[in-house]
Amino acid sequence: MADKQLTSILSFFISEEIFAFDTDTVRNILEPGKITPVPNTKEYFMGVINLHGNIIPVVDLRKIMGIENAQINKDTVIIVVSNDGRAESLIGFIVDGVKEVISLNEDYALQETIIDINEKSSFKITFKGTLRLKDSFIHIINLNDIVGEIEK
Amino acid sequence: MIDKFKEKFVEEAQDNVRDLEESLLLLEEDLNNMDIIERIFRAMHSLKGGGAMFGFNDLSDFTHHLETIFDLIRNNQLKANPEIISLTFKSIDHIKELLEKGNLESQDDIDEQNEIIKEIEKFVNINDKDTNEPELKEDESKVTDDESKTYLISVIPNEDILKNGTNPLFLLDDLHAMGNAVTISFTKNIPLIEEFEPIKNYCSWQVVLNTVESDNEIKDVFIFVEDECTIEITEIANGNVLNNPMLKKLIEEAEATQEFIKKEAVQELNFEKNKTTSKAGLKKKNLFKEHKISSIRVASNKIDDLVNLVSEMVTIQAQLNLYAENSGDPAIISLAENIQKLSRQLRDNAFEISLIPLQNELMRFQRLVRDLSKEMNKEIDFIVEGGEIELDKNIIENLTDPLLHIIRNSVDHGIELPEERIKLGKSPKGTILFRAYYSGANVIIKIQDDGRGIDTDVIRKKAIEKGLIDKDIELTKKEILDLVFLSGFTTRNEVSDISGRGVGMDVVKRKINDIRGEVSIESELGQGTIITLELPLTLSIIDGLLVEVVGKQYVIPISSIEKIYSVSDIELGKSFNKIAVIDNEQYSYIDLRDVFEEESIENNDSQLILVKYEDRRVGLIVDNVIGEYQTVVKSLGRFLKTQENISGASIMGDGSISLVIDTNRLIQYNASHKYKTKK
Repeated sequence: MADKQLTSILSFFISEEIFAFDTDTVRNILEPGKITPVPNTKEYFMGVINLHGNIIPVVDLRKIMGIENAQINKDTVIIVVSNDGRAESLIGFIVDGVKEVISLNEDYALQETIIDINEKSSFKITFKGTLRLKDSFIHIINLNDIVGEIEK
Repeated sequence: MIDKFKEKFVEEAQDNVRDLEESLLLLEEDLNNMDIIERIFRAMHSLKGGGAMFGFNDLSDFTHHLETIFDLIRNNQLKANPEIISLTFKSIDHIKELLEKGNLESQDDIDEQNEIIKEIEKFVNINDKDTNEPELKEDESKVTDDESKTYLISVIPNEDILKNGTNPLFLLDDLHAMGNAVTISFTKNIPLIEEFEPIKNYCSWQVVLNTVESDNEIKDVFIFVEDECTIEITEIANGNVLNNPMLKKLIEEAEATQEFIKKEAVQELNFEKNKTTSKAGLKKKNLFKEHKISSIRVASNKIDDLVNLVSEMVTIQAQLNLYAENSGDPAIISLAENIQKLSRQLRDNAFEISLIPLQNELMRFQRLVRDLSKEMNKEIDFIVEGGEIELDKNIIENLTDPLLHIIRNSVDHGIELPEERIKLGKSPKGTILFRAYYSGANVIIKIQDDGRGIDTDVIRKKAIEKGLIDKDIELTKKEILDLVFLSGFTTRNEVSDISGRGVGMDVVKRKINDIRGEVSIESELGQGTIITLELPLTLSIIDGLLVEVVGKQYVIPISSIEKIYSVSDIELGKSFNKIAVIDNEQYSYIDLRDVFEEESIENNDSQLILVKYEDRRVGLIVDNVIGEYQTVVKSLGRFLKTQENISGASIMGDGSISLVIDTNRLIQYNASHKYKTKK
């Protein structure tokens, strides 16, 4: 998976920053409807939703990134992804809004980086690389790693 | 395409292998049973034939060797004995390996195969010396009275038959597989070496075959070579006349003179021919046909899909019901009711399809007991009751490992050596009783041995040593036995040597819990141990009680609920140990509002639900009881596996989600313990 060339990415906001997932992993983009909380779970775990009869866990990516008291407004969405294509691996991430799909038609030399994003939770996020687009930077999230962290 | 056939072959071969194992176990009990030997031979023969056809050449070669032994046995030239059976079991293991690997590549594997073939040949060769001795005298001139017939079959292939790849010897093999046969080879046409052309066939054969198959079946053997072969089939007698001295003489003469046995010559022997038997043959064929359509083979993922779809439908149907009731339109209500009826039936049907009998797995256990007890010089009777009990495929899949574990423990540590047993005044032969039966919505499996049992003092000492319990705590016998289920209790060598048990019992418990089952243990020192598994019939659907905890809905499986009380009627101990007194009995209770870390709201209609937990009862306090609800349980997926109190989720009629509470784990982790659980 990691060796596959990225062809396009879905970028989204978290607060003022722009991040992105590989579009191949994205299954759905949903409005945050009713999320059923699951007790005794980690703080960023928002609960589960019913997506076409499947139970999908939802985590708040903003809380993982260490942003306190994130609000849900009209731009907030859940991006449902699966890192290995299996239904069992479907998971939803709450983000502050989708930006756009960007095609990568050239060979970008992406530099992998690991960032201790949240000092309190010692949650590590790996980026497949960072793109510069006009004035902004887009951090492409390594889904395998983040999913692995959540599963721990 | 060919891969698909291969897959099918492997699947069928596995059935054959299972059949082989089963027959062998039977043969071990009754060494002279010809029916069983015939069954074994047939299974091997199909393996060999199929193997050659689908490119499993090593398998085919290997089975050919093995088959030779049983060919000799069924022709009364060799007696089945325990060594042969052990060797065959070994060979079956090898065949299983071949089925998995396809053809052998590594030298180790090939050496191993040659090793076994050598052993096999030992038996075959012993017999070669004996063949000159007169064969068994019994039955010699007597026509055995059964439904079989004896045929004379002349096979005269054209010279060109080899050109299209046909090997006539396979045809003869097929004939041999149909029953008892004697083949006469006619090789007089083979020219001198100078004129010999290797691509031409110079041989012909005559086969005297005794079989229960009809002459049509015999013709079928030659169906692909009709044009390259002259085939003549003559029915010469009812029953088996192969041992008839007159016929034998004819055969010997034919071999010596290289002249074909003439039809007339055989007919002069005047064997009794009875037309009615052809009817019997016909009847048999009909039976065979009926059998053919009585069951079909379906890929298990298709069944999984079906069950999933039905589960979806049950959910949607609940939504429809809700809508119909709200609409108040009598036409829709009656439609909804009809659909409900149908979907219930469909659901029951679909779940029934996904059930498979325990029997299929039991063979492995019988094998295990047999092999292990031989290895350890123990004598053990493995008795099975209730093998016909059916369980969900997914449950059976997850059950095999724990059961293997339990049975292995019984053989390994439970049952004593014969000498030891005699000293103790027991029969030298130990017994392991495997019993399965229905109990309400559950299936109970008990594995009982009459071995040495578990020494509670040793367990207790061990647990104290390991720091699992405090030194001066009072424990009942049951509580001590339950210690073996704690993770961290076992360390293979130490414990198994002293107490004779406890090897990985925590793993057994975890696996059984994973399929919503329960495991318990009873033991009497010196008399044996009983391990009881309580399993649900199916994993995906449960009857639940819908309850409310701080505004959120949860489902509690009804099977675990004993009684429901209103909290205002009972006296709750406010102290730290949380004891409720109901009808003068004390129960510990768990407040779900605390467990789920919610702020409790003052509420006057709180209810206490008394649930079963192993042999005691524990109260669960909820805000409100909403009602009974039949529900499809869905897994929470890989990200919530560590969630201990919740076993799954269920989608309600209105599309919302309710979490299903796993009462066993909830209580296990939250009720006051006398021992410390290591998480």
